[in-house]
Amino acid sequence: MTSIGTGYDLSNSVFSPDGRNFQVEYAVKAVENGGTAVGIRCKDGVVLAVEKIITSKLLKPGANRRISTVDRHVGIVSAGLAPDGRHFVSRARDEASSWRSVYKGPIPISALANRLGSYVQAYTLYSSVRPFGVTSILGGWDSEAELAVDGQVGSGPQSGAGGKVKGAKSGGPGLYMIEPSGLYWGYYGAATGKGRQAAKAELEKLDLASEKLSLHDAVKEAARIIYVAHEDNKDKEFELEMSWISSLEGPTKGRHEEVPKELLEEAERAARRALEGDDEDEEEGAKGNEQMEE
Amino acid sequence: MVASHGLTGMLGEDGIHVDMNHLKSGEVNLGTSIMAINFKDGVILGADSRTTTGAYIANRVTDKLTQVHDTIWCCRSGSAADTQAVADIVSYHLNMYSIVNNEAPSTQVAGALFQELCYENKDMLRLVLFVNWYTGIGHLIYRCSAGIIIAGYDPRHGGQVYSIPLGGSLHKQAYSIGGSGSTYIYGYCDANWRENMTEEEGIQFVRGALREAIKWDGSSGGVIRLVVLTAKGAQRHLYLPDTDYTGPGATY
Amino acid sequence: MNHFPGTWGRPRDDVYGPYDSSYLRSTGPKAHTQSPAVTGTSVIAVKFNGGVAIAADNLASYGSLARFTDVKRLRVFGDAAVVGFSGDVSDMQYIDRLLESMDIRENYSAHGNQLNAKNLHTYLSKVLYKRRSEFNPLWNHILVAGFDGEKKPFLSSADLLGTTFSAPHLATGFGAHLAIPILRRLFPEERPIEEITKEDAIKALKECLKVLWYRDARSLDKYSLAVITQEGIEVQEDQQIEAQSWAFAETIKGYGAQTV
Repeated sequence: MTSIGTGYDLSNSVFSPDGRNFQVEYAVKAVENGGTAVGIRCKDGVVLAVEKIITSKLLKPGANRRISTVDRHVGIVSAGLAPDGRHFVSRARDEASSWRSVYKGPIPISALANRLGSYVQAYTLYSSVRPFGVTSILGGWDSEAELAVDGQVGSGPQSGAGGKVKGAKSGGPGLYMIEPSGLYWGYYGAATGKGRQAAKAELEKLDLASEKLSLHDAVKEAARIIYVAHEDNKDKEFELEMSWISSLEGPTKGRHEEVPKELLEEAERAARRALEGDDEDEEEGAKGNEQMEE
Repeated sequence: MVASHGLTGMLGEDGIHVDMNHLKSGEVNLGTSIMAINFKDGVILGADSRTTTGAYIANRVTDKLTQVHDTIWCCRSGSAADTQAVADIVSYHLNMYSIVNNEAPSTQVAGALFQELCYENKDMLRLVLFVNWYTGIGHLIYRCSAGIIIAGYDPRHGGQVYSIPLGGSLHKQAYSIGGSGSTYIYGYCDANWRENMTEEEGIQFVRGALREAIKWDGSSGGVIRLVVLTAKGAQRHLYLPDTDYTGPGATY
Repeated sequence: MNHFPGTWGRPRDDVYGPYDSSYLRSTGPKAHTQSPAVTGTSVIAVKFNGGVAIAADNLASYGSLARFTDVKRLRVFGDAAVVGFSGDVSDMQYIDRLLESMDIRENYSAHGNQLNAKNLHTYLSKVLYKRRSEFNPLWNHILVAGFDGEKKPFLSSADLLGTTFSAPHLATGFGAHLAIPILRRLFPEERPIEEITKEDAIKALKECLKVLWYRDARSLDKYSLAVITQEGIEVQEDQQIEAQSWAFAETIKGYGAQTV
């Protein structure tokens, strides 16, 4: 890096003469070493997936989850330093609960992304702290139903006004990615971590903006993309961890939940088949699968 | 003069004796008739215009319908000072909400904020100590110190009516009546209420109900003010007692 | 008006004499809620073979005024418990939110354990006791119905002082006076719970609600009923008290000697 020896990279919050904050860029390097994480936003829900690298044979398979729930309707997955990711999730939970205590309802995904973006950005402003070593993908579902005030009693009129307006569009999926600089955007498909380039290339092929992909197919695509992204990191074993949030009519009823075991395994089988089809020379499927079935 | 007050009240940092009970007993109150209803295209809020201090009418043309956001309004009953303060705080928060979230707040959000303030400060907003200045005999009297009805229109939920009575509970209702005058019109409203009324029918209903409340409640009186909230925004109406509340009707 | 704001709004001492402040204790302790405002009346519940049934009417009174007639006082917690509230409605809403935030927190750890009715009752009784010890009680008497850790039917009460009490059938408010004697006669203590069917329990609750409707001046003939079994929680709201007995009024004439 050009910064080596110049001294402008030693303290956070200090700009280099050409306007860069090197500590933030180094934080991005930490992210680039982390297991790949992806998020896919469909019309009827959001899928999160992460390539969890097995760092020790002594770790219990399926334990040490990397995707966390915030409130009931949001999931967060991070690539980079796991402890930073956990602190980030803890902050997200506090934000969601503080929103609830004031407004008596679930925090909108966009508002949560905004608050977390501001939080992460603050860690680029002070020399006494270091930036977050994670890029986090935030997926959730804003309820499309008529929102009640928490603890509400009474129900208003039986018909007509005083409830949800017929045909009024509201709620829906939300997917955001927040980087160590505090920068965040809303995405149709997001990828971060070591295999992000391959994953992004795959996400772009899906034409997510047309919103034709169903949530179930998105689960399979997410699994496949993690497997594709793992191709460049084959010396390490991994576990695939996936979660989803569907619409109220869908399988999770607007809640963030783990993808059910059967569906996850089906998606993994399909992912391995797709990889074999792509490349005949490849060894048969990742060993990660055997781990899962223990 | 000041020294004689050493017997009562709390000595503030600045040496001024503050005695809430003395302040409260001289308070201006909205002995009131207020209501809000759902109708086909939105909501209608209504109120009389009388403000009293004891039996004296301190203001005969009060506006008890307060805007807290573009199409979220409230009817205030109880202590004028308390409810104005609460409405001002909610108004500030809703304003901030729309700026920060780049989206107009729903009526639910307004209801939640009103409730939080009324519930957490219920001790300050409820009991009023009446003291006869000259005998010094005090007695506690329940008085509607903050009874608020919230009505709003938003494109997602349409019109909605919420009521926050004394303890600070929040009730979603088809229509809501409040204030001292409301006790005289429970029968009228229950008998005449219909869902999905047209705007014209809704106005008739509110005006008819408030007319009765004003007739029987000494603490209610003056003019009838209405606000109609629909997708088109807020429109005020005014009805005067000397025309038996027939007009002038919609003002701007 | 003078330069002593402390005297503003007061009668002049030189004219009326100093104010007799002995009637005021404004420097006394801070006063919290001393009474409820909008209230719900009785909650009643019975254990039966394999579950618990609980019921409450849909009324929130404001003094003697039947102010809100669509208030659901049975609150479902997760898929494990139902809490029935009598007393102040604003405090009920507060507790409801407290439980909701706890439910959200509990689901963060994916251990799969859920708080059962017994855990919930322990927690709530401690919240209630803490608040009464701060002289700021939550003005409720609650019944918690569901299952305990051993999957056995659980029913217990907690009041605004934090007092707890368990029995095969419980009632709060007027129900403690009117419903409990009926339930005791129907289900004597020596009769094992295993002999009581779900239908027996529901029928008994409906009978008690009817008596409460006859005799509790703060009650309503619309009610909610929840049945908790291992299969899950069934809640029926907007129920109507049926098979009432009023026609005999025709035979009542005068108040003594009168016969026409």
